[in-house]
Amino acid sequence: MNEPAKTRATLTVLAVLLAVLAAVFLSDQRGRPAAVRHPIALADTNFLDTATVRRSYADLTRAKEDLSDFDCYSCHEKGKPPPLRLDTNQAIIVAKEHADIVMGHGRHGRNNNCFNCHNENNLELLQTRDGRELKFSNSTPLCGSCHGPTLRDWEAGAHGRPSGYWDANLGAQTRKDCVNCHNPHSPKFPSRKPAPGPHPLRPPAAAPATAATVQATHPSYA
Amino acid sequence: MPDSNGQPPSGPPEAGLSRRSFLRTSALLTTGLAALAASLKPLMDMNDFPTAERFMQKYYKELTPPEMEKVLKRIENDVEREYGIRPHVRDLKPMEGVQFVYCLNLTRCIGCRKCVHACVAENNQSRTPEIQYIRVLRLPHGSLDIEKAEHNYAPESVPEKGYFYMPVQCQQCQNPPCVKVCPVHATWQETDGITVIDYDWCIGCRYCEAACPYWARRFNFTKPSVPKERINPEMAYLGNRPRRQGVMEKCHFCIQRTRAGRYPACLEVCPAGARKFGNILDPNSEVSYILKNKRVFIQLKEELGTSPRFFYYFDV
Repeated sequence: MNEPAKTRATLTVLAVLLAVLAAVFLSDQRGRPAAVRHPIALADTNFLDTATVRRSYADLTRAKEDLSDFDCYSCHEKGKPPPLRLDTNQAIIVAKEHADIVMGHGRHGRNNNCFNCHNENNLELLQTRDGRELKFSNSTPLCGSCHGPTLRDWEAGAHGRPSGYWDANLGAQTRKDCVNCHNPHSPKFPSRKPAPGPHPLRPPAAAPATAATVQATHPSYA
Repeated sequence: MPDSNGQPPSGPPEAGLSRRSFLRTSALLTTGLAALAASLKPLMDMNDFPTAERFMQKYYKELTPPEMEKVLKRIENDVEREYGIRPHVRDLKPMEGVQFVYCLNLTRCIGCRKCVHACVAENNQSRTPEIQYIRVLRLPHGSLDIEKAEHNYAPESVPEKGYFYMPVQCQQCQNPPCVKVCPVHATWQETDGITVIDYDWCIGCRYCEAACPYWARRFNFTKPSVPKERINPEMAYLGNRPRRQGVMEKCHFCIQRTRAGRYPACLEVCPAGARKFGNILDPNSEVSYILKNKRVFIQLKEELGTSPRFFYYFDV
């Protein structure tokens, strides 16, 4: 083979080689997966719910829901105050018909008398210590008759949770009643399951996270 | 004398191409091509090339109202193309005689983190990777030492005995260090006190993130991913419109809600009523009442002189 032929052959081989190299390089670049992302599961929509923890009597009435729990005289007899029974520690014995009621209002059992708030002569009404009679749908003044500073804060919007519009000129503001958040029989705010915390940068186990391990480490994720 | 039928003369052959120079050139060429391809590699991953319209867009403060109209239309189209949902994008201006203040009741906060997720949902934050504006710190009773704070707490139920919770988000400082360091004025303080970011003007240098003493600013290292079905279509230009890769974002007091008179999303979802928001210039607002009557004890890291518009207080 003479010299020009040799050069041509080398050139051709090199050109083909370069083309193949370029093709491989590009196809590899394109085919290489982007940085592996473990999808972070979406937060449960329960955590986005703006509803209060309880529903008040007024809410139930508005929603036209079952109010049979408040129909006292389907069991009790009118004009006959139900008797109160106390145990040896002066704690009230809750009748089994009212087993859902946990008496936890006030420390040291100081507030263990149903008729501190309920009207013994008309069970469908509430009463304050100064003799005012109030409906179930209007219980805030009853709470305020003992919790004055809290009522004052609530009236100023500093206690409780107003929602809607901060600017009264642009829209309505809704106020929640005491019993929207506090159970009157045990008013301490209930504890709850927290929403998931910030996701760690790497999955906690050495194994890469799968949908199953995400579920296991963050069961609350939907 | 040259030999008539012997070796060809040494020296350049015909066409001036020697094997050595050819090999050298081709080696250089290969290396060059490889380097070029490698440098272009990120472009292959990039899927939101700026349109000419977005690229040429003027600075927020220089946009005239008709130009703003066009920009908002452009954003609406972009969002619709990407998420298949027609949003309502507004450019809400600060209201006259309004200075926003946020108050947070540490006695009431139970650390349930609902605010964190309501914020993510409201503000179209990236889910993977996760971007959250609010961090809830858990601190042991009797201390306000942030060094003792824990934000990865995961008990069965909250509140836990012996701890209190302190959610931290953008403090909307009156003297914001993040604004001072921005080299392109992509972030500034508005007259109602909200520090905002023009996501189309941000160059992603992250100086503001470094300057913020509250770790309130978040950077989009990758393209944010928001599921189509969770997009909040009520958007604002300086607020919750979808962000791009390479820009900063942070809490903006839900500008799309608060400048329309509504409460922020984190407040409305709080089950304990720990969050309070309003206009400090209105003497009858909740926040005025709280600052007058409650034990407002800190602005977080107040010794730094940033003068936050975010107050922590106690009952009693």
